[in-house]
Amino acid sequence: MEDRRERQSFEELALPLLDSLYRYARWLSRDPAEAEDLVQEAYLKGLRGFGGFTPGSNISAWMFRILRNTFLTSRSGLRAVPPLSLDEEPELVEAIADGATPESHLLQRADAESLRRAIEELPVEFREVLLLSDVEEMSYKEIAETLSIPLGTVTSRLMRARQKVRKAFSRKQ
Amino acid sequence: MMDRHWTAEEVERFADREASPDDRHLRECVRCANAVLATAQMKAAIRGAMDVGPAPASLRARLTQRRSVQTPWWIAAAAVLAAIVVLTPFLLRNQPALPELVDMHVTIVGSANPVDVISTDRHTVKPWFEGRVPFAVPVPDLASTPFRLIGGRVVYWRGNQAAYLLIGKAAHRISLFVFRQENAPKNLGTSPPAVSTLSWRDDGLLFVAVADVPPGDLAALRDAFTHPRSEVSP
Repeated sequence: MEDRRERQSFEELALPLLDSLYRYARWLSRDPAEAEDLVQEAYLKGLRGFGGFTPGSNISAWMFRILRNTFLTSRSGLRAVPPLSLDEEPELVEAIADGATPESHLLQRADAESLRRAIEELPVEFREVLLLSDVEEMSYKEIAETLSIPLGTVTSRLMRARQKVRKAFSRKQ
Repeated sequence: MMDRHWTAEEVERFADREASPDDRHLRECVRCANAVLATAQMKAAIRGAMDVGPAPASLRARLTQRRSVQTPWWIAAAAVLAAIVVLTPFLLRNQPALPELVDMHVTIVGSANPVDVISTDRHTVKPWFEGRVPFAVPVPDLASTPFRLIGGRVVYWRGNQAAYLLIGKAAHRISLFVFRQENAPKNLGTSPPAVSTLSWRDDGLLFVAVADVPPGDLAALRDAFTHPRSEVSP
């Protein structure tokens, strides 16, 4: 049966992404129960829309995008994301590298728990780029595809996200 | 080759394994090498902090269980859909339409807001229907007839749009339903007592007039629509 075959190939491609999608859902919603619902809904949507998926293209960017849209249209997603788009202010980005700042040394010593709390306090746009880059190890191009934003925005958003984490730490200590 | 320090962006790109400048500079510059190292350490720290472990087993079970649970659901849904598709023409199309249209007439005429466009001017009412119903609604000039235009609205018949014109004759209200032929009621049936109904076809449209007026009045209305003055006179 056509349907059955399609479901099987969808599951073969999408089920290995479960841990990653769950992690993304957790960091989008910051709530374990909601994360499970988001993932389940995303899989249902993915299965239903699988006919529109181009074989050989990036299934993980595709599924992440479905999950993200599911979150954005959920109640907490609508609350989390301001109606206006992010302003990509460049002034936070230092011109010259300065790795040996006190913040980064503090960061190295920081325990995972306080770092996790600092990331949790970031706006969702920053949490997600950190996750996609540092945990999922997506390239800037894949992140741009997943979030439907220009490549340059990925670069600047990621820099701002890390800047904010550093700042949060320098304030804390 | 490159004797300047790396920018913060270049450092991050390098740590993120994106295209970045020649890394020979890093071997000679402690400051930039430190920056790259700090970024890499930060990435590792973030990776550790953001790890939430594998997805719960219960979630995985829910997703894989769907396979056996969902097949009957789809079959059931398909069966219901097929039944609706097959039975609808028998259940609905063959039911006489006039009693329903008379009910609509009574409902609309008795409503506080019977029409959505209120105008005696056909040049207002006719364009109002554009984009609201999938055909041009003929609205003749009723000036020299005993009828007057009150307004119009969109109504639905078996899921398709139809035009509704409310026409006055003295204190009486006449409902005129205008359907596109392909979406028109197939079986009008007989008119219920106490109201007059009259239907006619013209130019691919089906007109059904309903009112508590003598049948002769509806015939006069039909003539006003089928022989509009504006087209007869020069």
